[in-house]
Amino acid sequence: MSVESNSSGPLVTSLPPHDERPSSLRRQVFGRLRHDATSMFALVVFVLLVLAAAIGGPLAAWWTGHSPDAQYPNALSSGGLPLGIMQRTYLPNGISHNPHGGLFVLGSDALGRDVLVRVLYGARISLLVAGGATALALVIGVSLGLLAGYFGGWIDGIVNRFTETAMAFPNLLLAVALAVVVGPGLLNVVVIIAFFTWYYPARIVRSATVAAKEMTFVAAARTMGARPRRILVVHLLPQVWGPLLVYATSIVANNIIFEASLSYLGVGVPQPTPSWGQMLSDAVTSGLYQVDLSLAVVPGVALVLTMLCFNLLGDGLHDALDPKASRR
Amino acid sequence: MRRKIVQRLGGAFVQVIMVSILTWFLFFVVARFTGASPAARIAGRTATASQIALVAKIYGLNKPYWQQYLIFMGHLLHGNFGFSAVQQLPVSTILWPALRVTASLVFGAALLWTIVSAPIGAFGALRPHSLGDVLSRALSVIGMSIPVFWLAPMVSYLFAFEPTQGRFLGIPLGGHHSIFPITGYVDFGVNPVEWAYHLILPWMTLAIGFAAVYIRYIRAMSAEQLGEDYTRTAKAKGASTARILLRHVGRNLLPTLTVLLGADVAYALTGVFFVETIFNLPGVGYQGVSAILNLDYPVITGVVIVSAIVAVLANALVDILHVVLDPRLRRVGTS
Repeated sequence: MSVESNSSGPLVTSLPPHDERPSSLRRQVFGRLRHDATSMFALVVFVLLVLAAAIGGPLAAWWTGHSPDAQYPNALSSGGLPLGIMQRTYLPNGISHNPHGGLFVLGSDALGRDVLVRVLYGARISLLVAGGATALALVIGVSLGLLAGYFGGWIDGIVNRFTETAMAFPNLLLAVALAVVVGPGLLNVVVIIAFFTWYYPARIVRSATVAAKEMTFVAAARTMGARPRRILVVHLLPQVWGPLLVYATSIVANNIIFEASLSYLGVGVPQPTPSWGQMLSDAVTSGLYQVDLSLAVVPGVALVLTMLCFNLLGDGLHDALDPKASRR
Repeated sequence: MRRKIVQRLGGAFVQVIMVSILTWFLFFVVARFTGASPAARIAGRTATASQIALVAKIYGLNKPYWQQYLIFMGHLLHGNFGFSAVQQLPVSTILWPALRVTASLVFGAALLWTIVSAPIGAFGALRPHSLGDVLSRALSVIGMSIPVFWLAPMVSYLFAFEPTQGRFLGIPLGGHHSIFPITGYVDFGVNPVEWAYHLILPWMTLAIGFAAVYIRYIRAMSAEQLGEDYTRTAKAKGASTARILLRHVGRNLLPTLTVLLGADVAYALTGVFFVETIFNLPGVGYQGVSAILNLDYPVITGVVIVSAIVAVLANALVDILHVVLDPRLRRVGTS
């Protein structure tokens, strides 16, 4: 893997002028990514998703005047059933001053809450939990992977035993067990998911570090008196970011499913916070999805689109980082 | 070879011990600090402190932790997983029949996804960038992105529920049909045909996500093998494509595929949680989910331990099979 030389000191003066420098890996990767239609599509979906998570919920709530947790009895039929998508009801209580107050674009759920507003707020929870858990898992995994790969010996032994054992178990199962004991909660979910995913990045970083530490520039840095911390952070960390980036996207995708599964089983993000897994499970366990399929379709499609976006991004990054492998 | 197998079994044994320690630690130690202490749970919500203390004494929950763990392990070794206060049954009586159901589901699905993905993946490797390859790759990315807990209700709705309402995909069928059973399970020993009939939709649901991943695996691995010299030699000697794929490439993929299958059968044990609940199959996942809803801790503990042990054993078994199937590994081991 070629990487821009970012070592400091006397080497800088010997570098060729800027425009003759071989283009950096980062620039090459994004250059290739730009020409890949699928990756660009995924990137657009990703941006939309982030926008939906950041401002979509409040925007929809402002437009309709429906807060995500408020229940509108008028949005249910006289039998107490949800009305389905694109329903206009007569003046939901308390928001009669809003011109769009009667409109439920994606219908209402069993409790008369606005599905559109909830699914948009759900995007926020999904990305927040998955992103937070991935970040935490990466911090733990990368540190342990770097330490294990660079120092070897007993640190390596312990980290390896842990990752091997952890990988032998169905981690959702143990996560559910832990969540049952610890109880539901946003922070709990983030920590639990990170606790059961850190060993994937740890393994990747470890093997990348083992390969990279034998390179001459590491030996050179060591000869020049660089301390282990400097070698790890300045010289080895940039070597592993490529494979790590690919992995991070797939971990985010996995963690979105992880959070949704926990919430689906009722041990994830607690009610009434809207989350996609929770919305699905509400629709399915009550059997109401057989009356109004949109209750299951809306959060489900949101999940599938998000997963698709991250999976395609991961594939695109993988191919862009290693173009030879994909052109077979 | 024997030494490798013994080594692997030893490793599996250590992992089983670690599972038991972990689960015990969770439900008997961590639970004390999160308001779900085992003695208080058994004593009930209205119990006084002295009643809880009495329960703790009867169940040995006031002894030092290491003794409690040994008691727990002793019970496990005798097949005693505790007693479910919710179902008023010993946990082992609940779990053994459930394990049969789950085994039917998981192994059937594993067979299905292997059979489906092998030819599709091989085709993609033979004709890269052809229409079929592009299509199958697109479908597999989509398949990978569909979570099983969404797929299960959708499959159940489309193929089982909607036809009974006289529609399929919203199109009127002209009459009410019951194509597939919505719920229920018939044991293989009672009626094998009904058994398969009731499991078709659950198998399909569980298999789709894995089939998507396996198409990618098999395509990538076959493409690698097809670029090797030995396939070119076989081709030059006039072997047919089918023969190259089955006898040469297939034989080389077999060991790796076995290991992947073992890991994924273990991984599928989490998928059964959702599939079994939707299709009402009384398996381990179904019992697990209802135990979570009822906070039936002994059953949850049992489900976690049994599933984890099955996962560990499945992984150990395929590693041993790997040594048997791959002659290169066999020679190194016999020293």
